[in-house]
Amino acid sequence: MAAPGRHVGHYIQRNGRFLLCNIEQVLGHRSFGWTPAVRQQAAEVNQELPESIVIPKKKTWSKEAVLEALSSTVGRDPTACPYMFQDDPFLTPRTSTEFRMFALSQESGRDAAKFFINSNPKFFTKDFAEPHIPCLMPKTVSLVLEEVSEEALKERINLRKVSAAVDMYDQLLQAGTAVSMETTHGLLDLICFYCDKDPAEEEEPQREDTDSDEPKPKGRIHRASDFIKLTWKENNNAERIFNLLPERDTRCYSALIRGMVKYRAPAKAYSMYTDMLNNRVTGDVHIFNTLISSVVHLRVNYEARWELVTELLYQMNQQKIRPNILTFNSVLQTLRRCGPIGKSLSLQTVSEMKALGIAPSLATYEHILCLFHKPVAQKQYGADILQEIVSELEGTSLTCQDPNDVLFFATAMRVCVDTKELELGYKVHSLTEFGENYKLQGVPYQRSTYYGRFFNLLCMMEHVDAVLKWYRRLIPSLFYPNVQGMMDLLQCLDTDNRLDLLPDIWKDIKTVGHENKSEVVEEVLQLMAREKHSPEVQESFATCALDVKNEFEVKRLLQWSNLSLSNVTIVLLRANKTQMAWEMLELFKSYNRVPSKEVLDAFLTVCHSDGTPQKAVELVQAAAALCLLQTPTLATRTLAEFDLTEEQRAILTELEAAGEPSD
Amino acid sequence: MYRFLSRTVCAARNSSVIVYESCVLPAKCEKAAAPVFRVVNGGGVNTLSTSSVRFCEKKDDVVPSNQDEKTTAVKEDPPTETDQAKMAKQTEEPVVLMAEDGSTTQQQTDVKTEPVVEKPTEAAIDAAKSGKQHLLDLLVAMKVEVTSKKKFKGTTIKQNYESIKHPESKSEAMESTISMFQKATEAASPPSETLEPDLVAAASAAAATLPDSNRAQSVLLRQLRERKAITEAQKKGDMSKLGEIIADMKVGRQYSRQKPSASSQITFDDDERGYTRDRGITGELVGVRRRRNFFLAKRLNIFSPTTEDDAVQSTAAQPTLWDMEFANNLSQVTNQAPRNGFEEMIQWTKEGKMWQYPVDNEAGLEEEASVSFHEHIFLEKHLEEGFPHQGPVRHFMELVVAGLSRNPYLTVQQKKGHISWFRDYFQQKEEVLKEANADLN
Repeated sequence: MAAPGRHVGHYIQRNGRFLLCNIEQVLGHRSFGWTPAVRQQAAEVNQELPESIVIPKKKTWSKEAVLEALSSTVGRDPTACPYMFQDDPFLTPRTSTEFRMFALSQESGRDAAKFFINSNPKFFTKDFAEPHIPCLMPKTVSLVLEEVSEEALKERINLRKVSAAVDMYDQLLQAGTAVSMETTHGLLDLICFYCDKDPAEEEEPQREDTDSDEPKPKGRIHRASDFIKLTWKENNNAERIFNLLPERDTRCYSALIRGMVKYRAPAKAYSMYTDMLNNRVTGDVHIFNTLISSVVHLRVNYEARWELVTELLYQMNQQKIRPNILTFNSVLQTLRRCGPIGKSLSLQTVSEMKALGIAPSLATYEHILCLFHKPVAQKQYGADILQEIVSELEGTSLTCQDPNDVLFFATAMRVCVDTKELELGYKVHSLTEFGENYKLQGVPYQRSTYYGRFFNLLCMMEHVDAVLKWYRRLIPSLFYPNVQGMMDLLQCLDTDNRLDLLPDIWKDIKTVGHENKSEVVEEVLQLMAREKHSPEVQESFATCALDVKNEFEVKRLLQWSNLSLSNVTIVLLRANKTQMAWEMLELFKSYNRVPSKEVLDAFLTVCHSDGTPQKAVELVQAAAALCLLQTPTLATRTLAEFDLTEEQRAILTELEAAGEPSD
Repeated sequence: MYRFLSRTVCAARNSSVIVYESCVLPAKCEKAAAPVFRVVNGGGVNTLSTSSVRFCEKKDDVVPSNQDEKTTAVKEDPPTETDQAKMAKQTEEPVVLMAEDGSTTQQQTDVKTEPVVEKPTEAAIDAAKSGKQHLLDLLVAMKVEVTSKKKFKGTTIKQNYESIKHPESKSEAMESTISMFQKATEAASPPSETLEPDLVAAASAAAATLPDSNRAQSVLLRQLRERKAITEAQKKGDMSKLGEIIADMKVGRQYSRQKPSASSQITFDDDERGYTRDRGITGELVGVRRRRNFFLAKRLNIFSPTTEDDAVQSTAAQPTLWDMEFANNLSQVTNQAPRNGFEEMIQWTKEGKMWQYPVDNEAGLEEEASVSFHEHIFLEKHLEEGFPHQGPVRHFMELVVAGLSRNPYLTVQQKKGHISWFRDYFQQKEEVLKEANADLN
């Protein structure tokens, strides 16, 4: 079989060459552009049997393709600060607060510039760019058309001037001009979306650009606070215009119902919906989506909620409306607040989705995880579900279909942390690293929550070397650890007995701005002072301890505590920095702190090994001056262990005796 | 509980091994031990391949595999697939063993135990009448009751077997597993702590001098046994102790790993479906199968299957303000700051601020692309009408056209406009030209 095939191949190849030569002669030099392709084709034919020649289609590259390819070779640089701050090394953020502040100020600067350009278009008429760049030119934000006409109304709707548009509509009605249905839809949408209020002026530039220009630091926060005060008012302009309409179609109802749900009038929305049914108008998918999401506010009882949801779904089916992903996500969101019945029903909902050919989005999975994962009982359940979700999603490029999609990764990591599933955690993380999936980690707050949990999991379960590897990769280029994260890391070092790394970690602590958090500092000191180490390590500890002392003394960010003073002293003593340790003893006095017995014992031991009895006596005297209870024992020990002069002996015996009556 | 059980099982097995090593006959002893092994095998030994240290286990393992053969021989009535599965399991274990010690000792032990296998099978076949049912009962009950041997009791050696029941023999048995095969010959003597008779006699004589003679004797004897156990342990040196510790550790590990599935294991054997629960592979698969159920729940059955035209209808509409805002919201939520310079350039490209790649020097000239070059260059045809065919005006216009054809900055439309401006101009000035006789028609 193979041999004849090869013969045929040879034959074709030879003929192909012959043919090519001929063609080349005919076409001359112009053919050079495509001959390699033809040759390749011939070679391919040689390998396979000559059934059909597939001419490859011309590939049209998108304009970003080259850049995307280049970008994939670079990726993220874990050793550098976030790219957005690279232009300004002075403003490289070191803490999450700084990050937020700098990112916001960068963004607000951009917005301010845009606002200035848009509001003063007359200064920005010159167009240098060739070809023309529309987004750099000022946009028209003020009204041009003054006369009363439908065109003017459309202009007002496009510029989102709510009150001006309503005025124009009223004037048109008074003049007796009929407004087309499409314009009316637009007007109702506009009024309902902004709840009959003009969108705030400074929001304008943000709203206008539909492109993905602005990095997200704004987003939700602005929006939430913006609309929090607005509620749907009885008989506002939307309702008034709606009632004036001669005929109402689905989109009019849709606009009103969505507006009512958005501005927290769910009962009204529901009655509007029944009104719509009575008028024999069919709904659309948006109406049902919003109504399902408002079920929680309409019914108190768990069972009743689910009944209403199923009723709505049945009506959808009756009206032949195809549900979309948002429909099911809002069903699941409702199920999250349906108590115990939610679990089994949620799985059925997902099966229904799959039966309808709707692929679940991350938000779907997030709802299910939240339904099944209980932090206290039945932890394994959540982990099993997550296991399955991850195995389903592995190696897929995710797209955002629902604003709640971005909550998934943080939730998934929480499940991993609660169940201590390290392997699963790694899998979730590799999912975020696949392709462009990192974009679904959401706003910086959610992202840092995610990474914080991931790091917490690592510290809990992973070996210290691996933890440190991740530590270098994640911090500070991806997130800034909080105090708890640092404590976790310290604990991890402690468990795996790598306390020699403490000085390095202390430097990092200073970098991320936790040097003024007392619990972190105390923990570092405690770990350094707890055990004896090799001389080199002790030396580095002592340097570190002096640095910590500097934080206390020079920058005065913290208050010395008994423990921290003792720990610093002990570390210094172990590194044979006796002189500095004596200075520390002075600090005890000046801050009215009491050195512990261990400190004094350590001092005596050092004095003994140095052979400086005078120091020992001074120490006992200092202890007496601080009115310590241990003074007599110290004195006894000194008397026993040291070579003392008569004079010193006398002092010590006196101190030893003086201590006793006071006991 | 389970841990204790498996430990006793271990002990029982080990001692029984010694027993049959020494005197090969006790077939019924094997019979009794076989179910026990099944339990240990099914649950515990499978995990052995994962347990890191197997100092003493590797010697034991040979025995279980052999024992298993026997049990399969006993169960001749179950469907053949059961047997096959079991065989597969058995073959797997020796392989693991081989990999781990790969030395000659393995060979030796194999050889040694080989003849032993024969006997129990013979004995087993006639015991097979109630054998299987009984085995299952045993498995389900998880009772390591050695009393079952009475069923098959045919011959002697009862005494030897008794020693297994003897609680004190357990620890001894554990220790002896380590050097079991080395001292296969010397193990022929009863391995228990039965002390030398003269020693016992001396002890009882000494006890007789004391008031409560019975109690004193037992105390003395116990003391002696303890001493003997200790000396033996020390004689074997640290390694044996290590072995002991490891054996203990291993038992613990088994416990933790098999706990979740211990019960299902037995049921699998019980319902004769022929599963062998190998924790390594099948165990995982079963776990996966169980988990799969989460998303295979029944559906709500609310929606009827969709038809194509529904989808077409929904896409027809123009995007509304709500849609735009929803898209905007999505893009804001997923919008991450660029991670490197190229990503920033991608962003700029999308905004139209950047020259597009691949570089094209006609970018931004899209409307000109449809205009061919000859329309730019050959402009004489526009002079055909409205201009004189000769004379100074014609001459002038030819110069204008030549200039225009060399001008790259104007569009064809602009060039045409330029020409038509002159046409209008000269038509307006027709009178003047005629007067000046410039029109040389």
